[in-house]
Amino acid sequence: MHQIVDSLQQFWQFTGFANCQIVNLIMIVIGVAFITMAIVKEWEPLLLVPIGFGMIIGNIPMFPGLNVSIYEDGSVLNILYQGVRQGWYPPLIFLGIGAMTDFSALISQPRLMLIGAAAQMGIFGAYLLALTLGFAPNEAGAIGIIGGADGPTAIFLSSKLAPDLMGAIAVSAYSYMALVPVIQRPIMLALTTKKERLIKMPRPREVSQKEKVIFPIVGFIMTAFIVPSGLPLLGMLFFGNLLKESGVTRRLAETARGPLIDVVTTLIGLTVGASTQADKFLTGNSLKIFALGLLSFIIATTCGVLFVKIWNLFLKEGQKINPLIGNAGVSAVPDSARVSEVVGRESDPKNHLLMNAMAPNVAGVIGSAVAAGILLSFLG
Amino acid sequence: MNRTLKTIITLAATVFAGTALRAQNVSDLIISEVVAVPDSVVSFKDDFGQANGWIEVFNKSQGTVNFGGCFVTDDIHNLKKSSIPKGDLRTKLGPRQSAVLYASGDSRQGTFYLNFKIEKGKTIYLVSNDGKSIIDSLGVPQNLADGKAIAKFANDKKEMIFDDIHEADPTPMSINGKHGSESKSQIMAREDPHGYTLTATSVAVVFFALIILYIIYGISGEIFKGTFKRKKSGKIDDETAAAIAMALDMDDNGETYAAIAAALELYLHDTVHDNESFVLTIQDSPASEWRNKALTFRKAPRN
Repeated sequence: MHQIVDSLQQFWQFTGFANCQIVNLIMIVIGVAFITMAIVKEWEPLLLVPIGFGMIIGNIPMFPGLNVSIYEDGSVLNILYQGVRQGWYPPLIFLGIGAMTDFSALISQPRLMLIGAAAQMGIFGAYLLALTLGFAPNEAGAIGIIGGADGPTAIFLSSKLAPDLMGAIAVSAYSYMALVPVIQRPIMLALTTKKERLIKMPRPREVSQKEKVIFPIVGFIMTAFIVPSGLPLLGMLFFGNLLKESGVTRRLAETARGPLIDVVTTLIGLTVGASTQADKFLTGNSLKIFALGLLSFIIATTCGVLFVKIWNLFLKEGQKINPLIGNAGVSAVPDSARVSEVVGRESDPKNHLLMNAMAPNVAGVIGSAVAAGILLSFLG
Repeated sequence: MNRTLKTIITLAATVFAGTALRAQNVSDLIISEVVAVPDSVVSFKDDFGQANGWIEVFNKSQGTVNFGGCFVTDDIHNLKKSSIPKGDLRTKLGPRQSAVLYASGDSRQGTFYLNFKIEKGKTIYLVSNDGKSIIDSLGVPQNLADGKAIAKFANDKKEMIFDDIHEADPTPMSINGKHGSESKSQIMAREDPHGYTLTATSVAVVFFALIILYIIYGISGEIFKGTFKRKKSGKIDDETAAAIAMALDMDDNGETYAAIAAALELYLHDTVHDNESFVLTIQDSPASEWRNKALTFRKAPRN
């Protein structure tokens, strides 16, 4: 009888109940909140459900040494986590993004690429602020990339520059991407006049198949020559797009934009979520990162909209750009373009900005990958 | 079109020339360290396991420098004493990178082997690929202890001024000086503490990359739209005029006139919807599922 009691006591020591701390419960509640947001509000469900559940997995209190935690070498979660730590999940996601993205809007209106460049100011604004708050330059660079509004890029760069901050950076990036409609709309309305919101832009012209095939090849060569350190992201993005547009690799393109990206998204979401163990995540730095992430989104949106407004001063009537597409310069494809469409239709139900907004939106993807490459070459 | 072509060619030539000049800037090389007699126990060995004296060449610039074709000598009257072969990719030194040249006395051993041995009291010269211009030199003291190096140290890492020369422990393939082991982040924290330089540079590069794409796709878009196509003169060629005349001779009712007028309107004002190839065929369309079964087969590899 005594032995049974001892065994039960020993077993109790291994349970989550015996090892539970308040911080574990806080993180589990946050995980549940993520899942709730995804299911009830449908905010980025493909990301928030895996991340939220990953948070719960990563914060189940346990006795150390069981070799199941994500930070214990050789555990299953640790092996899956290597895709994040070594940075090979994000390029695979970029392959899928390339294979599912139609760059026609960008090809037909290349001038709108500049909005994608202007919106990258969010990255560098956050970088400057992070330095001011006392972060080291490599950490500041990793935090700044949240402003690129691109989850895979944020994970890729933070895994290289500041692995210890990656959990907070990734969760922050994906959270704010999910909140793009909430963050961007008031800024867009505050910075534009009613007259500006009514500007009508012509429909993008039809783009030939040849142009679509040439785009990824030329685009990759040019951007990779300028920023070779962005090769993994840019290479996979343009390669995926070539698979889509070449017309002869249909099966590869379908795999890249279907099963492959689904598998990698599941794994990246789950492992990033699981990496947010309370002892590593609930720190003062994480709070600062969340604050800086929000500021970076605000700066990016503001710069995108203001850039269009200033540009319009030099454009003739009929060529002017609706500043409501300025917000789409941050990546967050296609959510930020959708915000442009929704806010535009609020002012004029017949004014459809979606196709025009897609141009700076996909330019933002390229721009944030280029920015990540620059930061990596300077700070990596 | 000519103007556009000229602009493209000029831009390409400028970029190419800039790249070429950058790569050939051997004046940024220095002899950073020399060991005359290596330590008999702990020493830096060459690829053949031999411990010879060695010379470290360092690229202090922020660009890549190729020192293939340069010369190394210890005789001011014979500047071409030992040459570094051209065509070896390893002679390209990246920013702040160094290479070690082994003074084995036999340059046939490889690219990085010199045909003389280092003697104390002599001066080592690095000579440009023209065989005349001395890029840098470093004197080996007569009293240099065995196993020790004579090295140049950078007191100012920002400007990379190597004005401190003294005897030290050998540190082949690494930057001499107190900041040698700094990470890029630490260097950035020291050189750009507020981040303004990096921010300005990065913003410029992002804009530059997307402006380049804008220009390329702007031009290609115009080409595909047909902006540069030669405009039709608005005149009817002889063949068309003859066809119209024949049609009018054959039939003089109003319908014929109307049909000819409509055809002329479409032809002269380029309002025809699209250009048909007039080739009727059954092509393998990727959007079609008509031979889907075949698409799933794996092709047999060719022998």
